[in-house]
Amino acid sequence: MSTTTTGPLYPTTGEPVAVNARRNRLGVWLCIVSDCAGSIALLIAYSYLWSLNVNNAWAPPKNTWAADLPFWLIVLGTVLATIAMWWGYKGLVKGHKDRMIVGATLATLIILVTFIGQIVQMSTFPFDIQDGAYASSVVWLCFGAAIHLFMLLFFTMAILFRTKAGRITPENPYHARLVSMWMTYVCIIIAIGALFTLVMKDSPNNAAPTFGVFTSQQ
Amino acid sequence: MSIITPPETDQPEEPTARPMPTHRMKEYLSRSYVRRILIMAVIIMAITVALGWVVVGFMNMTGAPASDIMGDLEQTVLIFTIASAPLIAITLSTIFYSLIGWKHSSGDEPPMQDSPAIRTNAFAVIVWITATSLLAGFLVVWGLIELATITSNAYGSVSANQQPNDVKQIDINVTGQQWVWSFEYPDQQGITSDYLVVPVNTPLYFNLTSEDVIHDFWIVELGVKIDVNPGAITNTGVTPTKLGTFNIRCAELCGLHHAYMETKIQVVTQAEFDAWVRDKGGMKTA
Amino acid sequence: MSVTTAVFEQPAVLQPKQHGKPGGFLRHTNIFTGLAGGIVFAAVVYMIGSKLVPWGNQNEDFSQIGANALIAATMFAWVIGFMAGIGAFAGPIRWALGHDLTHDDAEYMAGKGQGKFRYWKYTTDHKVVGTQYFVMVLVLLGVGGFLAMLIRTELGWTWGELFDPNFYNSIIGTHGIVMVVSLIIVVTGPLGNFIMPIMVGARDMAFPRLNALSFWLLFAAVPPLLATLFMGGIRDGWSVYQPLATQAGMGMIGYQVLIIVFAYSTGVASVNLITTAVTMRARGMNWSRVPIFVIGIIASSVMGLIWFPMYQYSQALAMSDLILNSSFFNPVAGGSVWLYENLFWLLAHPEVYVIVVPATAGILELMTVFLRKPLFSYKLAIAGFAGVVGISAIVWVHHMYMTGFAPQVGYPFMLSTELISIPFGFLVLVALGTMWRGKVWTRLPMMCVYAVIWDKVIGGITGVYLSDVPVDQYMHGSMFVVAHFHFMLMGAGLFGAMACISYWFPKMCGRMLNERIGSIGFWVAFFGFQLTFFSMFVAGLQGMPRRVLQFDNAFNVSNWISTIGAYIIGIGMLIFLYAIITSWRGKTWAPANPWGAKTLEWQTSTPVPLENFPVLPVVTSDPYGYGVPDPYDAIERELAKDDNEAKVPQ
Repeated sequence: MSTTTTGPLYPTTGEPVAVNARRNRLGVWLCIVSDCAGSIALLIAYSYLWSLNVNNAWAPPKNTWAADLPFWLIVLGTVLATIAMWWGYKGLVKGHKDRMIVGATLATLIILVTFIGQIVQMSTFPFDIQDGAYASSVVWLCFGAAIHLFMLLFFTMAILFRTKAGRITPENPYHARLVSMWMTYVCIIIAIGALFTLVMKDSPNNAAPTFGVFTSQQ
Repeated sequence: MSIITPPETDQPEEPTARPMPTHRMKEYLSRSYVRRILIMAVIIMAITVALGWVVVGFMNMTGAPASDIMGDLEQTVLIFTIASAPLIAITLSTIFYSLIGWKHSSGDEPPMQDSPAIRTNAFAVIVWITATSLLAGFLVVWGLIELATITSNAYGSVSANQQPNDVKQIDINVTGQQWVWSFEYPDQQGITSDYLVVPVNTPLYFNLTSEDVIHDFWIVELGVKIDVNPGAITNTGVTPTKLGTFNIRCAELCGLHHAYMETKIQVVTQAEFDAWVRDKGGMKTA
Repeated sequence: MSVTTAVFEQPAVLQPKQHGKPGGFLRHTNIFTGLAGGIVFAAVVYMIGSKLVPWGNQNEDFSQIGANALIAATMFAWVIGFMAGIGAFAGPIRWALGHDLTHDDAEYMAGKGQGKFRYWKYTTDHKVVGTQYFVMVLVLLGVGGFLAMLIRTELGWTWGELFDPNFYNSIIGTHGIVMVVSLIIVVTGPLGNFIMPIMVGARDMAFPRLNALSFWLLFAAVPPLLATLFMGGIRDGWSVYQPLATQAGMGMIGYQVLIIVFAYSTGVASVNLITTAVTMRARGMNWSRVPIFVIGIIASSVMGLIWFPMYQYSQALAMSDLILNSSFFNPVAGGSVWLYENLFWLLAHPEVYVIVVPATAGILELMTVFLRKPLFSYKLAIAGFAGVVGISAIVWVHHMYMTGFAPQVGYPFMLSTELISIPFGFLVLVALGTMWRGKVWTRLPMMCVYAVIWDKVIGGITGVYLSDVPVDQYMHGSMFVVAHFHFMLMGAGLFGAMACISYWFPKMCGRMLNERIGSIGFWVAFFGFQLTFFSMFVAGLQGMPRRVLQFDNAFNVSNWISTIGAYIIGIGMLIFLYAIITSWRGKTWAPANPWGAKTLEWQTSTPVPLENFPVLPVVTSDPYGYGVPDPYDAIERELAKDDNEAKVPQ
């Protein structure tokens, strides 16, 4: 166990930082699993309502679907921020603390812009959350993305401050790595959400029964 | 393991030596606790099997099965009870014997000596896994056959206009709303009623939907149950085989007066049914 | 468990800069600042909100959007204000600013030198959190039990309505959700937090601050739930099927806030428990030496971690339907009631195993002690838990056989439902094998074990009926189902938890549990339990639907018996509670290892010191080294010798 003898020690427990970092990494992985389950619940809701088209009320009024481009711009923003974070982290472990600061600053700015973009997108939808199942599902997917972006904003800013305060160093870069891991996961889950909205528009079920009526009787 | 050959004569009592299965079984059965547990198991098994009939008896408290489905599922309850009786008997007889036969006499202090250090027993594990798997497999197979039979006979069968001409079937549209049932007979000029009247020995086919919340359409004595959902149409079917008046209840909590959301189904002869339809203003059934 | 000790050299640890006195902001926070923060913030939000959305903004369909939104905002404000007031946000902010904890900070936050007052603070010590959970569970079980008495009183009163139907429906729902919440935490809360880290030889949990967070989130989530009883209540059972729940309006908001917050609490606790058990085991405790209780806690936490978000989102979407008028579950506007049922049961079935699995593992753990035998077939037990976790993911539709959402789906789910009896069978064999030929030391925890196995057998065979789709056509939604799951959740879950609590009580509370009073309470409750739920089986078989407050005269007798039995359970539980309280306040100090057990938690002193072990233990064998050589082995060898000699002439 070479790692236990070298490197800084974790102040509260006196264990090597590397040991503590392994523990944190497992914790973050478990958080990802849990968060992923929640996101899957939203995707289930989206695809379930899409496939059923209950009461022929899936589509928004006058078939005004949400524009595709904003979804992918938000994915792009998240991906860029993640790349910036990883770039900074890779530099940090090579000993360039400045690269971490630059990377985290870039990531924070990009995430901020993306977050604002997400809010703008949500407020400029051509429909309201009350306008049918598609509207509700899309608004909630965006709402979920917004929450994740807001959390990322906190994390990237924290990494920036911590690096400046000397808490993140080439010997102890683990928190930057964990945040980058989390950002990578957020990229994937937001991209899947965008893919859902791209692929699933018109419901495949054209013969949905009308509410309260036996239309299956010919 | 094959590389290392054990020493020839160093240990006369090799721990790996195993007696022949028959000898082992004989020795095993000669132990008093084994025999007692087996006797208890047989008794418990008999009681469990008898309980199967008690369960069915409670289900029949308001009368014998009024449809084939109800008969089938009572039979399933019986079969399942009998099939799981051996495992229940072994489990219960072991815990009873543990309390009676192996109880440490002065309970205030821990036993002077530890119990035998039995870490595992491959034979018991294999037998147990095989037995439980066989039981589960049997339950699955029986259930699948049972379900397929019911499905093909009545449950989810086709609508009347798709039936072959010689099968006379009655379609009924059931609407649930807080907290009443209403029934419509589309083939009988769309007459409506708040209770069901149906002819005996005629397949019934229900289309169900709700106007507000989820209800559950349960004809108790016929063994039919299906949720009545808003915004969707569900189907079920049954053939009543017994004359009489039976209960229809709502089996899904639907609000304030859920408890009172019940009505009757009258199973009558064909002639009586036709008369009822005429009284209601409908035409004679085809 | 054989334990040797090794002294580690503690090198001088470079401490970050100490900001202020140890503990920092948390020196000034406690439950009272939390309550103040919650109440003030909630009041502010309520006042601002009531100006923005006028109360009683009637929507076209019976729901009061404005009032619902206002109540939801107020309740969330209470939770956030409480957490801020008690100091939960200090940690993340310090982390973000780079003000890391020093060793002194950590010791202050673990409650060093604060005496009994540490139980009223955001204390990170796992023993404090475990004790807090214990008291919380007792309170919740008391509330749920009281509501159960009300339900049975109504059902035993067959001469008319004793309660208003709305009130009756809301006590059904509240009883259900209170009991489910308290049973989910009854083992993993007190014992998983208090005992499990000591059991694996750790000084604390992996994430001590998350540990405090998980408890105080739960604490903050309970008042909104209980408040709903005065705001119309949860009138649609604990499963709150849509769209009936929409009609309940404000009453539902408290339920949804509870579930959303409780899911975070459970998720945080699960992450913590799993990480602790996986990464913080003592030296030498490899995976074949882990006590089975730890395995059970891991299994339960994994299921909670994966499936709770489904439930959380189902409630979040339902709340969105209520306060934003979205249409996830409103069929008129394109929502689907089946979507709700699927999301709900995706958690709500694994949740049954979240409840039963840790109790079962605790039982297996303590059986070895009271039988003075090693655990029978440790590997089979692990396989059993793994199987339950695996199959639990694919059985949820057996709650939906009768919803008609896809009749063909009944076939595969009947298969998976019946398959899950196989891993459960493994656990039964482990219990029976451990019991086999063991001299029973008949203490209260061991007596609970017999009760649990009996209940599991009854719950198991009735579960076999219910797993079958055709039989479900009769039994679904009837009182039979109610009796079945009470046998599993109460008979196996709660009585199993009672076994675990009475076993670990000396370690947790430092006193011996009064054996005599505790046993009387337990057996009275057990007897009442059998009476109540066997006659409830009968009512169900006769055709009595569940969640009704009036019924045919045909069901009168079985309901009278059920009600009498329920009162007997109530009396028994009160006696058991009396035993716990008097023992806890008493002076019968417990020795460090009253049962002569070999797991690590009994090897340290009682009461457990702040960092659990003066010197970290090193494990050299598994914790089940009980037992003497089997005398029958000699007979087997004789037989084998005879057989070998018989072979020689050939």
